[in-house]
Amino acid sequence: MTDDRIALPSYLDKPPEVAAYFEAIEKRKVVLNIEHLRREFAAAEGTLVALSDISFKVRKREFISVIGPSGCGKSTLIRIVAGLEDPSAGTVSVDGVPVAGPGPDRGMVFQNYTLFPWLTVRKNVLFGPKMKGTRNDKALASADEWLKMVGLSDFADVYPAQLSGGMKQRVAIARALANDPRILLMDEPFGALDAQTRCSMQEHLLRIWEAADVTVLFITHDLDEAIYLSDRIVVLGARPGRILEIIDVPVSRPRSQEQLLSGHFLATKKRLEELIYRRDTAAAAEDVTHA
Amino acid sequence: MKYDPETAIPVAREPLTRLLGVRKPLDPRSRFWVGVLAFALPFLAWCAVSYVPFIWHPQVLVADAGDSTVPGEYSYVAEGERVDLDVFIARNRELGAAHAKRATGERVNPIYLQAPHEVGRALYTAFTTPPERAGDYWLHESLLQSCKVIFWGFFWSALFGVPLGVLCGTFPFFERLFEPFVDFVRYMPAPVFGALAVTVLGLAEEPKIAVIFIGTFFQMVLIVSNTTRAVDASLLHAAQTLGANKRQLVWHVVVPGALPGLYRDMRILIGWAWTYLVVAELIGEKSGLSAFIYQQQRYRHFDNVYAAIVIIGVVGLCTDQFLALLGRYLFPWETGQTKLVRMVRAMRRALPQRARLANT
Repeated sequence: MTDDRIALPSYLDKPPEVAAYFEAIEKRKVVLNIEHLRREFAAAEGTLVALSDISFKVRKREFISVIGPSGCGKSTLIRIVAGLEDPSAGTVSVDGVPVAGPGPDRGMVFQNYTLFPWLTVRKNVLFGPKMKGTRNDKALASADEWLKMVGLSDFADVYPAQLSGGMKQRVAIARALANDPRILLMDEPFGALDAQTRCSMQEHLLRIWEAADVTVLFITHDLDEAIYLSDRIVVLGARPGRILEIIDVPVSRPRSQEQLLSGHFLATKKRLEELIYRRDTAAAAEDVTHA
Repeated sequence: MKYDPETAIPVAREPLTRLLGVRKPLDPRSRFWVGVLAFALPFLAWCAVSYVPFIWHPQVLVADAGDSTVPGEYSYVAEGERVDLDVFIARNRELGAAHAKRATGERVNPIYLQAPHEVGRALYTAFTTPPERAGDYWLHESLLQSCKVIFWGFFWSALFGVPLGVLCGTFPFFERLFEPFVDFVRYMPAPVFGALAVTVLGLAEEPKIAVIFIGTFFQMVLIVSNTTRAVDASLLHAAQTLGANKRQLVWHVVVPGALPGLYRDMRILIGWAWTYLVVAELIGEKSGLSAFIYQQQRYRHFDNVYAAIVIIGVVGLCTDQFLALLGRYLFPWETGQTKLVRMVRAMRRALPQRARLANT
């Protein structure tokens, strides 16, 4: 058998422009700080540790993905950051202020769209400003701007039921961003979309992220998606959910689809596969021997 | 655009395959005609039993009793009476044995099964003929009384039941506080409170309204609370991450989210109110359509009895269809029917700029 594998660079060695990019990030302010986060659930066979000692920082305008096998607690993590669940121990702080419950400083995009079906697209986007009591004409202008940004100006007066999945998710992104959050939390936002739509949504999201002043914490189980979008990737292992490694993505920006086949991209993907799948199978084998 | 079975043009198929598909929606034309059939079939069955001789017709309307001097077990058969067919035959056997003149008559249905044309006539004449006894109510007066009792009973029930139900569906605290007791009372049939209601509220309309209230209120709290709980929790989460506080969550997410469901609940509960009406109207001083039916039955005017029953059905059906139609316009996000919304928007645009800002 011939070995036709390509020699890949190490995922750890960054091209000079990428190294400079990361240096610049390091100088920015920390927006989200997660410290020693732990989450336990009461289960029939005792307490189940969903998350154990999770700590990382997200700096301003950074795009961070959290990736891991199913059951690693990545959704629990983002729900704790959003304030929808409480941690068992540890703290989450935004701009140095510990969070207690959900708030408009952490906008969230959910996998199942969660648009308000009784509101038109524009009124969905206006929901946050309206709750805050922002003046109507000012909010309206900003809402229309965000709709233009996600390419849905023509659908402003349409109800969500009339939109496709990708369009709904674009509205959800516009709705979260129109509220001017400090950080945008995205919980597998493209998980329910078909492959083509998912691809174009990634493009959309990158363009928005580049154009607007947004910090993103992105949950996914799709390796390509994580590498393609992120500056850094937090890799979680399962049982208990813990950080295996935080990877600086050595792929230069601005990103394009061609980079999916670049050496640095593939090297990163290989490393992620090692971390997630190998460990997964190893853990499974371990489970079997224990049983 | 998404595939919508309502508007998709079906491939031409055999009628039977087309009409009898498993969970396959009918095309609009078949829908209409099958709907017509729903009423036409029972009506045709009624006509057949009434007009086609020998389908049933178990009695004989005696036209001529024959020689009534002939004694016998069945000598009570007299002119103008309805007697069972076997009695009539037995009487003729007696008359035949005595070589006397035989009785004649025509086979008819019992008095309680009136033919369509008789009920139709009654429907018309009931509105035009004065009541038999002075002081009795006309049919339209009875109908109005019934509608008033239903309206007020349901009004009070909804006024308290809907907010309480929404409260229970929103806050588990109130659910735990109210629902166990409501569940307990719900199993007591409303009519058992009739005597009590008369003692407390007198003989007039109030106890009847109270019975309808009791009959619908407790069910309403539970149904409304269930519908409210069915509002997608992820919408609440989304609203919270958009900065909605507790009050805003209730008013801007829970209430609008539950509204179409609540509207459907109310349509169903109005039907229940009508079932309690009949009991309610017979307590204290009899009133409304039930009193009318009761009286007509005593006069053996069964055509009028049917007329009144049909009227209840027609009023119920019309109310429901009207509410269904209204619902299509009220909740455009579910039906895509935006005519009303567009009208409201146009009216808003016509308002001066200042008022518009204050309103939106």
